[in-house]
Amino acid sequence: MTETASSTAPAPVADAVGGLTSDLARASLSLARRFAVGGTMWCASPAWPFHAHHVAVEFVHPVIVGKRALPAVAVPAADDLVASLRATVRPGDMVVAVAPADDRSVASAMRRGDAWGVETVWIGAGPRPPAGAAHHVLWLATGDPLAASEEFVRVYHLLWELTHVCFEHPGLLRPEVCTDEVCITCSDEGRPAEVVAVEGDEAVVRTAEGRERIDTSFIDPPRPGDLLLVHAGSAIGPIQEP
Amino acid sequence: MAPTSGVEPTGFLYPFIEREESDPAPLLADLARSAAAKWQQSTDLRQATLVALAGQLQATAAEMADRLAAGGQIFAFGNGGSSTDADAFAQLCTRPPSGVAVPARSLTWDQAVLTALSNDIGFDVVFSRQLIAYGRPGDIAIGFSTSGNSDNLLMAFEEAARRQMLTVGLSGYDGGRMGASDAVRHCLVVKSDSVHRIQESQAAVAHALWAALQTELRSKHQERWSA
Repeated sequence: MTETASSTAPAPVADAVGGLTSDLARASLSLARRFAVGGTMWCASPAWPFHAHHVAVEFVHPVIVGKRALPAVAVPAADDLVASLRATVRPGDMVVAVAPADDRSVASAMRRGDAWGVETVWIGAGPRPPAGAAHHVLWLATGDPLAASEEFVRVYHLLWELTHVCFEHPGLLRPEVCTDEVCITCSDEGRPAEVVAVEGDEAVVRTAEGRERIDTSFIDPPRPGDLLLVHAGSAIGPIQEP
Repeated sequence: MAPTSGVEPTGFLYPFIEREESDPAPLLADLARSAAAKWQQSTDLRQATLVALAGQLQATAAEMADRLAAGGQIFAFGNGGSSTDADAFAQLCTRPPSGVAVPARSLTWDQAVLTALSNDIGFDVVFSRQLIAYGRPGDIAIGFSTSGNSDNLLMAFEEAARRQMLTVGLSGYDGGRMGASDAVRHCLVVKSDSVHRIQESQAAVAHALWAALQTELRSKHQERWSA
């Protein structure tokens, strides 16, 4: 490719895309860790189904000969996203969505990530989703829908490229070891759970560790699909919609 | 080192236990630097491609607008990631964020047709046989490929040209066989040898083509499209 005038300026590349490249690096390492122990990546883009298919095919059938085929699946756009993911995802899986911040089905699926035990990556542009909406928020500043769509392709191409670089660092792929004094995972401090069924003052819930029966007498009667915080076998409150 | 033999999913995890890294910070910094450099390469290639193709995009859009104004429709196709580019172009045409909607369809949307043709005849004909069924003189065939060498695209372009359809190809590298084919009237080539960077610029080329098409439709065919 011949050089153009625009590429002669020493542009501060990292600044040009904000914190995106650091966010991409962290997301890629997280995905590599999950793939390394057998996780499946579920790809969703209700408004732009072609993006979901593109993400999945990148990982399943790499363009570079010799790279591993990784399990990635596009969720059919016609499906009820939350119902479809709820039925199919397993703890250790990943959900990658390409969607605007106001996509309620994607927001709802991402909120369930901790209860389902899945790592969530939300790619989008324009107004950002609220803090904590997903484990990894890979966000572009542009408000132009066509420019955004072009940059989404770059983002998930890089996500694939960086994930494969991580496979060359096996020592860093082991699950993160908890060293904190107080750790949600280890100490049963308000683990998120999704209600599967309600039976009187008890409910069967789904958490990252599997299904369990909890006491719900301290809270208003929940309904299936509600998200709750569970501590020591009891629901201690609902997880509010943002 | 070949950490990715792939037989056991976790087989590569602990090969050199005494030399294993434990601090992810240097890797994360490397990854971020690599991402930033590739982002810039993609930006530069996009810019250079749009400059190099400006005249061709204009000419292609003008002929597409004439066909659409006369009642033609667009068929888009490609393989793998390029099939998603074809889907994206068809969706942009039929459900545009602004401007007028024009009739367009991706030839990978119907899995019953795709699998029937593949099973009964072969994958080489999945696009050409659909053009035999659907295509008419005055329609537009637009095929997406990064190599320009896919047999099923070349067969589709040859069928489309035989049927007096307007043929438009998006290709990479030096254009490949699509670039050299008489059946491809307009071949828009992204000159790079990285599949990912080609595809990223092809998304921009497709959007530029759509924008030029909208301008043509507004200026030349206002009476038909103003409703």
